[in-house]
Amino acid sequence: MMLLYDGSFEGFLTLIYDVYYESLHVSSIVKKMPETLVFERFYEVFNDEKKAQKVLEAIHKHFTKEQQRTIFHTLLCDTRAYETALLEYIRIGFKNRNVLQNINNPNLFYIHNLEKELLCLVHKMYGFTRFEELDDGTLYAKIETKFNIVPFLGDHFCKRLGNIPFIIHDVKRSLAFVKNDEMREIRSIAAFDAPTVSSEEEKFKTLWKSFFKAAAVQERLNPKLQQSWVPLIYRTYMYEFDM
Amino acid sequence: MKLTIEEKLSILAGSAKYDVSCSSSGSENNYKTGELGCTHNSGICHSFTSDGRCISLLKVLLSNVCIYDCAYCINRVSNDIPRTAFTPKELADLTINFYKRNYIEGLFLSSGIIKNEDHTMNLLLQTLRILRHEYRFNGYIHVKLIPGASKELIEEATLLAHRVSSNIELPSSKSLALLAPDKTKETLLSPLKHARNITLERSNKPISMSTQMIIGATGESDFEILKLSSSLYQKALLKRVYYSAYIAVNTHKYLPVPEFSKPPLLREHRLYQADWLLRFYGFSYDEILRENQNLDIQFDPKTFWALSNLHHFPIDVNRAPKEVLVRIPGIGIRGALKILQARRFKQLSFEDLTQLKISLKKARYFIVAGKDFYRSTSLYEEKIKLALIHQGTNIIQPTLFDASIYTGEL
Repeated sequence: MMLLYDGSFEGFLTLIYDVYYESLHVSSIVKKMPETLVFERFYEVFNDEKKAQKVLEAIHKHFTKEQQRTIFHTLLCDTRAYETALLEYIRIGFKNRNVLQNINNPNLFYIHNLEKELLCLVHKMYGFTRFEELDDGTLYAKIETKFNIVPFLGDHFCKRLGNIPFIIHDVKRSLAFVKNDEMREIRSIAAFDAPTVSSEEEKFKTLWKSFFKAAAVQERLNPKLQQSWVPLIYRTYMYEFDM
Repeated sequence: MKLTIEEKLSILAGSAKYDVSCSSSGSENNYKTGELGCTHNSGICHSFTSDGRCISLLKVLLSNVCIYDCAYCINRVSNDIPRTAFTPKELADLTINFYKRNYIEGLFLSSGIIKNEDHTMNLLLQTLRILRHEYRFNGYIHVKLIPGASKELIEEATLLAHRVSSNIELPSSKSLALLAPDKTKETLLSPLKHARNITLERSNKPISMSTQMIIGATGESDFEILKLSSSLYQKALLKRVYYSAYIAVNTHKYLPVPEFSKPPLLREHRLYQADWLLRFYGFSYDEILRENQNLDIQFDPKTFWALSNLHHFPIDVNRAPKEVLVRIPGIGIRGALKILQARRFKQLSFEDLTQLKISLKKARYFIVAGKDFYRSTSLYEEKIKLALIHQGTNIIQPTLFDASIYTGEL
């Protein structure tokens, strides 16, 4: 049977509850009704806070800290259809959590690799995120990433930027991590006026670009290698790649 | 003539770029509430230049004025190039502003020798003092120890920086005497030894140190080079040795002629591969090479070793311990870990290995997995060589030359 849910964390937890208590046989899980005709029964999951809470508690009880982290990390990979694999991961874990180590199982291997892909992206963005200084001293960075990594970046830069207020703005997801003296939180951003950058900003961008140029050894020129390290998709907000 | 800060940066980054050290790894995360900056254990690359090398640190010289006349160096006193210097304050401000915008992971500071060694070391330290004390900057700092600087200054450097280094430059005393008459092996190594000893007195962990050797300017064999690296690693003196393919920037009677010499990038790549075998794969230098031999150009060092030691093969992937698994050509540390994890649940076949995304292209000639082994090529050196050449795994992809620049230190 085909399951339909709203794509949210609570929705997925409710889905797990229903699968167990309604004994559903799942063939696929979708976030949107397919537009073509489906000759299959489908079941719509309605978010339910109580059910979700119950499942969450069970997960806390049955899974190791590390496995719980894997589950939550998977949920951040929101551009992938991870649902069937994750459901399988949780099912196996409820039976016997030691079996979750078995990467011969394609579903478990999928989750294992997806988490690796996410953490790899996070690591890249620790380096590739670029801040601009606004006229009030706040640092402001725009990102567009395939997975939702705003929470990771937020934590990382809180440690790093000391008392400087900053905003990391995920343009596609309309999310932002905001940190200043009063708050440290992720909020959704409905509308956003382009902020004014500080008067020094252009100067440092220019300096950075000239450093970037000067640091390359002409005799070893290798743009292909450069591109394999920094694929074009990451370059949108990396000023050094603007000509 | 007064230069703008941008012109200075261009000149002084241009003079520093031949130093290949780039890593910012190996320091425990040292986050302090409210302070600017912290280090990241695995190091972070912030960008990659058009030669495919990573930018992690703001790598500059404080000054490219130098009283030495080392034949291979672009900044030698006899070269007619524009000379300039940052003031310590200018450089500290630049570092902070780059760091805030997340352009860099920290500072890599070196310098030509101005007036004398102590004066130069003092200027470098002055920059570090401003960063650490005035700006409370807690990010990564790598500083060059100036050979010949006084012990007190070296001690202060170890207190202010995360990593210190001094470049050996040339792999033998003979070459040094020929090309860098102002330097000897002893003067180059003594600051490193001193830095290790005083940091060991303070705690049981010595400060992290690295060095660099220029490859292809002089006649040493790869065997000599690896032997030297290996002894430096073993004495726990160094964390990293960097190899830098010689780029002809000067003409000199003892150096390769610029017009005819291309930087030996493939040789450099092979040396890094061999270096990895030393540091992470449990190989010793005399397993990799025999006296005065050079690394094979056609095959990577591990495949070359396997081909000349076929009596160790085939290896049973279902039984072999980790240190044996990593000796299989084409299987790295990650592949070995996957095998170890997966074989607890079932006997692995070739198909299982492929499922685990372990490439069998090279490995299949050297392993058995359950009932599977590679039937069409028997375990003879010439046969495997032919098969490898035929399928083209030995052909080096130029784009991967510098994969070794990756800073991830395991």
